[in-house]
Amino acid sequence: MHTEPIYLDPALDRTAIAPVELVAREDLLTWYRVMRLTRTFEQKLAALYRQGGILGAAYLGTGQEAIATGVASVMQPRDYFNSVSRELAAWFYRGVEPKHVMARWFGKDVPPSHGRDLGLFLADLERYGLAPYANAPMGSWLPSGAGYALAFKLRREPRVYVAFTGEGATSPGDFYEGINFAAIHKLPLVIIVANNGFAYSTPVSDEMPVKNVADRAPAFNIPGEIAFGNDIFEVRRVARRAIEHARQGLGPYLVEFKTFRQRGHGEHDDMSYVPAGLRAFWERRDPLRMYIDYLQHGGGMTSDQLSAIDAECTALVEEAVQYAESVPYPSPEKVAWRLYAD
Amino acid sequence: MAAGETMGMTTTYLDAISQALREEMRRDSRVILLGEDIGVFGGAFKITRGFLDEFGSDRVIDTPISESGFVGAACAAAIEGFRPVVEFQFADFVTCAFDQIVNFAAKAYYRWGTPVPVVFRCPSGGGFRGGPFHSQNPEAWFTHVPGLKVVQPSTPYDAKGLLKSAIRDNNPVMYFEHKHLYRRIREQLPDDDYVIPLGCADVKREGRDLTIVTYGAMVHDSLAAAERLAKDGAECEVIDLRTLVPLDKKCFLDSVRKTSRALVVYEAHLTGGFGGEVAAIIAQEAFDDLDAPVVRVASMDVPIPFSPPLEDAVLPSADKIYRAAVDVLEY
Repeated sequence: MHTEPIYLDPALDRTAIAPVELVAREDLLTWYRVMRLTRTFEQKLAALYRQGGILGAAYLGTGQEAIATGVASVMQPRDYFNSVSRELAAWFYRGVEPKHVMARWFGKDVPPSHGRDLGLFLADLERYGLAPYANAPMGSWLPSGAGYALAFKLRREPRVYVAFTGEGATSPGDFYEGINFAAIHKLPLVIIVANNGFAYSTPVSDEMPVKNVADRAPAFNIPGEIAFGNDIFEVRRVARRAIEHARQGLGPYLVEFKTFRQRGHGEHDDMSYVPAGLRAFWERRDPLRMYIDYLQHGGGMTSDQLSAIDAECTALVEEAVQYAESVPYPSPEKVAWRLYAD
Repeated sequence: MAAGETMGMTTTYLDAISQALREEMRRDSRVILLGEDIGVFGGAFKITRGFLDEFGSDRVIDTPISESGFVGAACAAAIEGFRPVVEFQFADFVTCAFDQIVNFAAKAYYRWGTPVPVVFRCPSGGGFRGGPFHSQNPEAWFTHVPGLKVVQPSTPYDAKGLLKSAIRDNNPVMYFEHKHLYRRIREQLPDDDYVIPLGCADVKREGRDLTIVTYGAMVHDSLAAAERLAKDGAECEVIDLRTLVPLDKKCFLDSVRKTSRALVVYEAHLTGGFGGEVAAIIAQEAFDDLDAPVVRVASMDVPIPFSPPLEDAVLPSADKIYRAAVDVLEY
């Protein structure tokens, strides 16, 4: 195997949270609740998939929760974003209800998709700022992201579009076409790249001729920054800078967070291509465990406080499953409904 | 006043498109244009000449050569409340943006209930020695995709009225304008703000002996063939579909029930072309009325070649339509 097993610069590495800002206890607990809820929800999703309760496939973001939570926490309410498949935490942060997510995974008749699309995907601009795009080939969300940002700029609105992406989606042409257009017009587009080391099974060394995705930013004459993605404080520090840069009208900003996907590309993937050493390396850097360590020591939280939140999340996920089981499937009679707008 | 408007008060097909765009941009500030070289240069075919001066660079946006990029951006801007009209320099280049059209624009409303009011102007068609990459008629790639509307006008009047409807429509519309008609076809247009609803075919010539169902540039070749057939004593009805999606089935089925014979003419390649769908509909819904097999006249199933004798061999023509019509009439 000619891959470099650890794709993280030692200078960025850490095994403990570095709390670089003063944060209200309430916010610390909100982030914890979001990350815990995401982890618990996805564990349930994986179990349901194995048991045949979830059809199709199941895709998890386990190990990448700090990025989605941290970035969402520094966005403004009217900012838009797109998720790909590892950003469930951002949905929860923005107020998406677990029961609705679960019902979508079950293919049930709940808005806005009414069973037409996978539970993996969600778009609802009005309620969550979560943008529609072509959830098909990789990178398609960069051109659309540029288009939403164009609308903000044409209307002189101080809003920002945050495009979450993985490093695998930085190879297709759409990645370049979208950022190129946004950079020419200085559109408020922030590109958050979660570099988790693998595009499905293909390691970074076989994906790109540069070491970092951020090395591609100079081609667009935009800033490109690399940071450690499993420390929520670090994520917030860098994402805040990127988002404010875009909001000021200075154009796109690319941030690459080094991280690791602890599950397969989907739950059907046994991850046999991941070297054991790499797995162990990142298990010591699990974003949730690192954050718990911080909360219980520097953060001043008791384990009882965290356990109470854990129980709350478990109950929410159980309730979500019950809800998903109870709501009806969409009627085949409505399969052709809402194809063309009036 | 654009060139061409001055000549005998008639308007070319090209100027009709330009007028529709200009009038819609004046009417609705949400209409914006994106495309290659459409600003200072006025577009490869000069459809948008003078637009940059009148509407400014916020509304007439020159794009880099990256069709997927600006199509994806246009779709998102449409979702955000703008009404973008995208100009492809040639319909052939639509391949570069195929994914954003068929997987984003076409499916967003079905998936999320989010309308995508965007128009893609695609200068299409052959007959002027453009070769394999500047002559294609790719409409059937898009009629196959639920969620898109597909328009293909044949006259200045239709081009203007249909483009206005397309811009006002809340769905993604593929608008195929035939390059070979741009300066060749002209007519007098009304002064009023007329629109032609999508989904209404038009009887371009009435007749009782044979129905020719066609659209786009082939309307004119079909009319020429019909004139020649009239001299032979056969009166052809020429139906111009004008929009392929939504399709006005009733118009051509009514005609076929009257004439009992149908010829389907289209400039795209024979196999898998939209005319095959029309022929199937006639066979399925008007079988008992037919006195002869439904026959198609279309381009041969080879790329559109450059050299004149080769291109002429491939494309349908008034002469080929005439000969096919004689066969159907004599069956």
